[in-house]
Amino acid sequence: MRANVTGTGTVTSNSMQILRTVAVVMAAAASLVAQGPAAPHEEEVMRHYQAVLRVDSTDPPGNESGVVAYVKEQLEKEGIATQIFQLEPNRPNLVARLKGSGSRRPLLIMAHTDTVNVDPKKWTFPPFSATRDGGYVYGRGAVDNKQDVAAGLMTMLRLKREKVALDRDVIFLAEAGEEGTTRVGIMYMANQQFGAIDAEYCLAEGGGVTRVGGAVKYASVATTEKIPRAIELTARGPAGHGSIPLQSNALTHLSSAVAAAANWVPPISLNETTAAYFKRLASISTPEEAERYRAVLSPDPTVAGPADAFFRKEAPIYASMLRSSISPTIVQAGYRVNVIPSEVKATLDVRTTPDQDPEQFLEMVRKVINDPSVEVAWAARDTRPNAAPARLDSDVFRTIEANVTKHYSTIVLPTMLTGATDMAYLRAKGMQCYGIGPATDIEDGPKGFWAHSDQERILETEFQRYARFYFDVVRDVAGRK
Amino acid sequence: MRHFQTIVRMDTTDPPGTPPGGEKPVAEYLKQVLEKEGIPVQLFALEPNRPNVVARLKGNGKKRPLLLLGHTDTVNVDAKKWTYPPFSAERKDGFIYGRGTIDDKDNVTGMLMTMLMLKRQNVPLDRDVIFLAEGGEEGTTRIGIQFMVNQHYDAIDAEYCYAEGGNVTRVNGQVKFASVQTVEKIPRAIKITAKGTAGHGSVPLEDNAVAHLGEAVGAIAAWTPPTRLNETTATYFKRLASVSTPEEAARYRDALSPDPAVAGPAQQYLRKNEPRHWSMLRTSLSPTIIQGGYRSNVIPSEATANIDVRQTPDEDPAKFLELVRQVVNDPQIMVEYANANSANRPPTPAARLDSDAYKALESMTTKHYNAIMLPTMSTGATDMSYLRQKGMQCYGIGPALDVEDGPKGFGAHSDQERIVEAELYRFVRFAYDAVVEVARAR
Repeated sequence: MRANVTGTGTVTSNSMQILRTVAVVMAAAASLVAQGPAAPHEEEVMRHYQAVLRVDSTDPPGNESGVVAYVKEQLEKEGIATQIFQLEPNRPNLVARLKGSGSRRPLLIMAHTDTVNVDPKKWTFPPFSATRDGGYVYGRGAVDNKQDVAAGLMTMLRLKREKVALDRDVIFLAEAGEEGTTRVGIMYMANQQFGAIDAEYCLAEGGGVTRVGGAVKYASVATTEKIPRAIELTARGPAGHGSIPLQSNALTHLSSAVAAAANWVPPISLNETTAAYFKRLASISTPEEAERYRAVLSPDPTVAGPADAFFRKEAPIYASMLRSSISPTIVQAGYRVNVIPSEVKATLDVRTTPDQDPEQFLEMVRKVINDPSVEVAWAARDTRPNAAPARLDSDVFRTIEANVTKHYSTIVLPTMLTGATDMAYLRAKGMQCYGIGPATDIEDGPKGFWAHSDQERILETEFQRYARFYFDVVRDVAGRK
Repeated sequence: MRHFQTIVRMDTTDPPGTPPGGEKPVAEYLKQVLEKEGIPVQLFALEPNRPNVVARLKGNGKKRPLLLLGHTDTVNVDAKKWTYPPFSAERKDGFIYGRGTIDDKDNVTGMLMTMLMLKRQNVPLDRDVIFLAEGGEEGTTRIGIQFMVNQHYDAIDAEYCYAEGGNVTRVNGQVKFASVQTVEKIPRAIKITAKGTAGHGSVPLEDNAVAHLGEAVGAIAAWTPPTRLNETTATYFKRLASVSTPEEAARYRDALSPDPAVAGPAQQYLRKNEPRHWSMLRTSLSPTIIQGGYRSNVIPSEATANIDVRQTPDEDPAKFLELVRQVVNDPQIMVEYANANSANRPPTPAARLDSDAYKALESMTTKHYNAIMLPTMSTGATDMSYLRQKGMQCYGIGPALDVEDGPKGFGAHSDQERIVEAELYRFVRFAYDAVVEVARAR
């Protein structure tokens, strides 16, 4: 098969012949549980994956046109029409649609084509080489997010080739600017081109399967996310000479306010997603861990308190999932060691839970700081719209669960992300969005192999498993019932 | 007033703003005014734009010279914060506003006028009177007093020196007492550095460096360092009590009590309402600079703060640092002097209280202000410390200021630095008379 990779019409039609046969077989098996070995797909999806990894689409500066050109060519070669939506030159968003019967509303599958930038000196394998080594594929975007570009593309190609009958339209959006320039990407599409991507459901990045010691432990599916905000603290007082301490020293008041805000433990506020997350996590944990995960679900502060305190110290991501959170991140004040400045500012990174009323939260922070010389206000920030979590009782969530069982034999934890994703813009439009992702080794993070690191990589076998999982989920959600 | 407004209008901020100024415009103005009067002038410049001006009126040599010292630079400004532009020398409601109006262009003006008047009146002198208008006092002493003391000391060598560092205190517009600075606190800076784990802002970390730094700065500012009195400050508060209302007098006496139950409330009152007095009772700390972080969603791994420290002459710097560390009490925080030299600056001896120069100030204080004179330890550093190291007897003087102005943000280095116009005139008369008293031929 490898010899055929150079690609001719003949090869394609041969492959399609096989695929059609497979499709017929699969369609005949009503439960669709057979796992296709599908070696041709493995070759092909790896080819697409390497091809898009080899195009530098770092943001900044931001130029997705190379990746989009490749994806467009592949889709059109398969007879799938594409549309390009572009707010700025070289920042194209690609949309392709496979029509369904219309008996149900569309499914959107979304991937972003840009990546964060690189420091090439730090990379063992060049960042745009897509080197295959030791069972891994290395490259910028390997897990953020070109695996979704390749899996989404492959899914579209297979649905078309295999002539899968669809109840829902399947819309593929390869979007630009996810890594900090959402203006040209999801904001543009959601605000100005929503007709092209409007759907009932959406699959996008944001979840993943966690492997510990090489064994799959659980899958996370992101159903909601916290909202990024920022509070600016401004302390004012008389300026003066450093030789005469003033109790009204603005910098002192600011410092105490920063410390008070950081030391404050905002109340635990669970939602359906986070409650289910900790409950399910407990079910696959050691007894000692399980007790803590269950404890934080208790309305009794004497039960929840110690576990919460443990998380704040030892597993801060869990502590952040339990509440709206505050991290002081910037203090810049004063200009001369012998001058007490009259006005000083600090920035707090705030992540509110989806159901948190922002004004109420701000009021709580004001009470915690409790200092009339410190102004507490929301700072301008590229925030995300507030949106309801995706439902846990939807067809799509159940289908994802079934396919996680099928491909990974593990449990699904519905997850609230502490960071922000582009799904927020779609959820704000009422779309039910689920964040998924391939399996990664938990040990890879501290070793510097994860997203945004200088050795971003994925296991080849996990990439292939993810591509199969992805196709199955889309087919099961959108295919004719 | 003409000389005063002219030099206040010249931007001599240190460090220089845009365009880079330096003290040259003021130096050249002084040179021109003095030479027009027939007083010879020398310029000494380590750097071209930063000249020091020296003028000398010869005496008969019976006694050693008297040095008059003023500095021509100022601290810099944040022009946006000023109601009246900082270099406008705006006269408004009996005040003159501008950077340098009480630090130190008031002294420069007073001493310039003294020189001009001595010359015009042909006052016979037992001592040379030397006027030094120096640069770089506000942080660049290398090109100012250090340069003059180390390389041109002959040009300024004297028995006595009058310089900035004292003042006359007005309460509710009434003169209460005069302060003459005879000793000063030693300026140092402590740098505190917080280290923690860098991370994403969406996941709060208990070891967040910015949060730990905030806590440490708050703790340092809230701390009350132990009271440390010396002869000057003990005399100061005793005399101050003698001219105060019974209530105030009780407070000043209480503040000196070794019994914390007595001293505590009095010192708390001073801390809030008379912060300079509180600072005179101890080594003090003012947080002035804080820096950390670069992006709102990234927890930085390091954040730093600078604390302005003013140590009493008898404080042991190493022991004091240890006290601060105990107050901070956080293994994530490093507490150290900002630079090694800062810990090594020697304390300077106090000027005598029985000298001719001191007595002249005392009698002229009676004449012009009808007030008692208190020897003081200034909380701020002055260039007199370099001269005192050479054995010169230096006394810090200054115009009358309203005690209420400091907390309201009108003090030296503030964003509305100002002087009462009538007090500028009175200060010029006072300075002239004191110089005549100590230097005239007898």
